Amino acid sequence: MLLSDTDRNRRVLTAAAGTVLAVVMGLVLIIGFRLATQIRASVGNLQRASELQTYPELISQQLTALRQRLDTLEYTGHVHSELSASVSGFNSDLASLQRQTDLDSSALAGATVLWRNYTPVLAPVLAYAGEPYSDSATNSTLSRSGRAFYAHVRRAELFAAANSTALHDQLAAISTSLQAQTASAAARLRLLLSAGVLTVLLLGAAAAYLQLARARGERAAREAQEQTRDILATVREGFFLLDADYRIGAVWSQALSQIFGRNDFAGLAFEELLRDKVSSETLATATKFIKLLWGERAHENLMKSINPLGQLEVSVDNGRNGKETRFLQFDFHRVMGPKGVKHVLCSVGDITSSVLLSRELQEAQESAHSQLDMMVSMLHSDPLQISAFLETAAAGLKHINAILKEPARNHGEFSKKLAGLARELHAMKGESSALNLMSIAQRAHQLEDMVGELTGNTDLSGKDFLPLVLKLDELLAHLNGVREMTLRLTALKENSPTAQSSALAPRASGPAELATTLQTLAHKLSAEHHKAFALTLHGLEDCPPQYLSTVKDCLIQMLRNAAVHGIETDEVRRAGAKTEAGQVRAEFRRVESGFELLFEDDGAGLSPESLKEAAVRKSILTAQQAAALDNRSALALIFKPGFSTRTEVTMDAGRGTGMDVVAKAVYGLGGKIGVSTNPGRFTRFKIALPAVSESAVA
Amino acid sequence: MLREEELKTFVDGTTRYFEVAAQQPATIGSPYLLEGEPAIQDYTGLISISGKREGVVYFTAPRAMLTVLLMKMQESDFSHESMRDLVGEVANTISGNARRDFGHDFVISVPSVFSGEKPQIPNPPGARAFVIPIHWRSHSAKLVVSLT
Repeated sequence: MLLSDTDRNRRVLTAAAGTVLAVVMGLVLIIGFRLATQIRASVGNLQRASELQTYPELISQQLTALRQRLDTLEYTGHVHSELSASVSGFNSDLASLQRQTDLDSSALAGATVLWRNYTPVLAPVLAYAGEPYSDSATNSTLSRSGRAFYAHVRRAELFAAANSTALHDQLAAISTSLQAQTASAAARLRLLLSAGVLTVLLLGAAAAYLQLARARGERAAREAQEQTRDILATVREGFFLLDADYRIGAVWSQALSQIFGRNDFAGLAFEELLRDKVSSETLATATKFIKLLWGERAHENLMKSINPLGQLEVSVDNGRNGKETRFLQFDFHRVMGPKGVKHVLCSVGDITSSVLLSRELQEAQESAHSQLDMMVSMLHSDPLQISAFLETAAAGLKHINAILKEPARNHGEFSKKLAGLARELHAMKGESSALNLMSIAQRAHQLEDMVGELTGNTDLSGKDFLPLVLKLDELLAHLNGVREMTLRLTALKENSPTAQSSALAPRASGPAELATTLQTLAHKLSAEHHKAFALTLHGLEDCPPQYLSTVKDCLIQMLRNAAVHGIETDEVRRAGAKTEAGQVRAEFRRVESGFELLFEDDGAGLSPESLKEAAVRKSILTAQQAAALDNRSALALIFKPGFSTRTEVTMDAGRGTGMDVVAKAVYGLGGKIGVSTNPGRFTRFKIALPAVSESAVA
Repeated sequence: MLREEELKTFVDGTTRYFEVAAQQPATIGSPYLLEGEPAIQDYTGLISISGKREGVVYFTAPRAMLTVLLMKMQESDFSHESMRDLVGEVANTISGNARRDFGHDFVISVPSVFSGEKPQIPNPPGARAFVIPIHWRSHSAKLVVSLT
C-alpha cells in the first residue's frame, strides 16, 4: 500500500516536471523568436542609419563637384544624375527609418527637420534640366539658365557645407540609438537563453532524480515481489485470496499445490476445491460459511468459532497413485477495503501429524486412566475372582473367534454370526461391569455397538467384519494386560506380611465372592441410575459349583434389569406409597426336582401393553401379531433376542441382549425360566434347575 | 495396533489380483484371529515388512484353486513352477498395493514362495495374525496379516 502511494506521487511529480519543461521551452522559443526578429530589424535599421550617415558628406561633395564643373564649363550631366540618386536614396532610407516606431524619436526628428531644410535648397538644383552652356565660335560661356543653375548649386553647396555636420551628427545619434537597441535585445536574448538552459538543466536534474527514485522504487518493488515469492514458496501453509465470487485469486503459496496435489487454482471456485474431498453436507456448510464472511456485520472472531473447516478430514492423492487421509485446518481472515470486504484471505494448514499425535496422546491418557481405574478396581476385588473372570472372558473370546471362523459366503451366513457374538459380548460386559472392570466393559460395549450396527445391514460381507476382528484383537490384548496386572498384584499380596489376615488376601472363588460381587454391582447401579434400593441374598451358599457361573450370569443380568427397568425413581415410589428404598431379593434353594432361583423386585413390574409396543417398535412383531398376543405370551417377549423396552442403548440396558442370554444359559443347563408380575407392584423370575446328578454340565 | 485401513490395503491388493488377472472378483470371508499354527495351504507367497510395522503378510492357496486360476488366465502350463510363480505374483500385487498406500513408511521385501513342506513362517513377537479367507469361485485361499 505504501509502495503504491509513493509510486503514484512519483508519477505525478514526473508529469509536473515534464509539463513545466514544455511550458518553459515554449516561452523561451516564443520570446527568443520575438527578440531575434527585433534584433534582425534593429540590424537592418542600423545598416540604413549607417548608410544615411554617408549621404550628407556625399551630397556636399557632389554639389562641390557640380559647381567646379560649372566653373570649368565641363560636362555636368553625370554629376547631376549622381546627386539625384543620392538625394533619392537619402529620402528612401529616411522614410524607411521613420516607419520604425521604436527608434529614438528626438534624433530622427532632428535629422528629419534638418533634411527638410535641405529640400528647398536642393530642389532647383535637382529640377534643372536645361543646357548650362552657350557655345560660340571661340569659346563657351554659361548660358542664362546656366548662371541661375550655378547660383542654385553654389547656394546648395554652401548650405550643405554648413549643415552636413549637424545632419551627420543627428544620423550618428540614430545609429547609436539603434546600436544600443540591438545590444539590449541581444543581451535579453542571451539572458533568456541562459535562463532557458538553466531551467532545462534544473528540470533535467529533477527528471534524473525522479528517474533515479523510480528505479529505486522499482528495485524495491522487485525485491518486495521477490520476497513475497520466497515467502509463498517457503511457507508451510497454503495461502490464497477469495474474491466476491468465492473464486481463488491469481497468487497462492506453493504449499497449496502440495496439499491439494494440483496447480490450477487461478479462478477456481472454492466449492470446486473441496468437492470430491468432503461430504456434500460439509461442502454445503462450508459454502454457507464463506458467504457469511462477506457480510459487513459478521464478527470475525465469532465466525472463527463456528468455522466448519477448523479440522477437516480429506482424502487426497498420495503421489503414488493411491489415496491417503489428511487433516486440514482452514482459517479465514477478511481483507477490508474502502468499500467493505475486499477479499477473504484463506490459510490452509496440514495438521495431520498434530491431530494424530493428539489422538495418540488422548488414547494414551485414556489408557493410563483406564489402567489406573483398573488397578483401583482390582485392589478392591478378590484377585481370584478377577482371575476367574479372566478365564471366563478368555473362553468367551475364544468362542467369539470360533463363531467368526465358521465359513460364511453370503449375507445369511454372516448374519447368523451376529446373534452369537452379541450374546457372548453382553455376558462379558455384564460380568466385567459387576467386577467394576470398566475398561473391559467399555471395550465389550463398543464391540456390541459394532455388532448392533451390522445387524441393521442388509448386505453383509466379510469386509464388514474387518473392524470387528481388529477390535476383538484390541480387547484380547487388553485382557492380556489385565491378566498380567492381576498376576503382579497377586504376587504383591502374597508377599505381604499381613497377607494371611488381610482382607486383601486371596480367597477361594465361590458363593461368598458372588454375593460380594452382586452387592458391589447393586451399589454401583444404585449410584449410576440414582435409584435407592437394597439387595437381599439368600441361600447362595447352597449353589452347587457347577451352577455357580450360570447363576452368577443370570443374577447379574436380572439385577441390572431390576435397576434399570424395575425400581422406580424416588418421586415415583413416594407417589405410589412405596418404601423410599426399593427391595430386590434373590433366593437360591433346594427343591424336590433340583434347585430353584427366585429373583424379585418391588418395582414397576412389567406392562404387557408396553412390552407389545416395544416388540412392534423393534420389528419383532407386527401390530396385528401384537394385538393378538395374550398377557402370558407378551411377558415371554422379554426372552426374545434383540428385545428391549429402552429406546436408547446404555452400558446397562437397551440392546435387547439380556434376558435371552439368561434364558439360553438356563436352557443350556436343562432348566426352565418363568416370569410373573403385578404392574406397579413387583416382577418375579423363577428359574428351575435340575438336580446336579441329572445335569448335563460336567 | 494394526489399523483398519492397513488391513484393507492388503485385502484389496489380494482381491484386485483376481479381478485383474482372472476378470472375476474374489470375495472375502469372515475374518478371524489365528490360533495355533499358521494356516498354510499348498502354495504360499510371503512378503516381510519392516519400518513402521514389523511382520509378515502371506497368501496361501490350495493347488486346485491355482489350477483353475491358471486356466482362467489362458495358461497351459500347470506345473509346480507355474503355481509357485502365481502365488509369487499375488504376493507381489499385495506388496505393490502396500507401497502405493503406505509409501516409505513400510519397507517391503521381495516375495518369497513356499510350497509343499511346512514353511518356517517368522511370527513377530507381540503380533497376532489376522486370517482373511479369500473366496474365488468354489475355492478358498487365505490371506494372513501378522504385523506389530
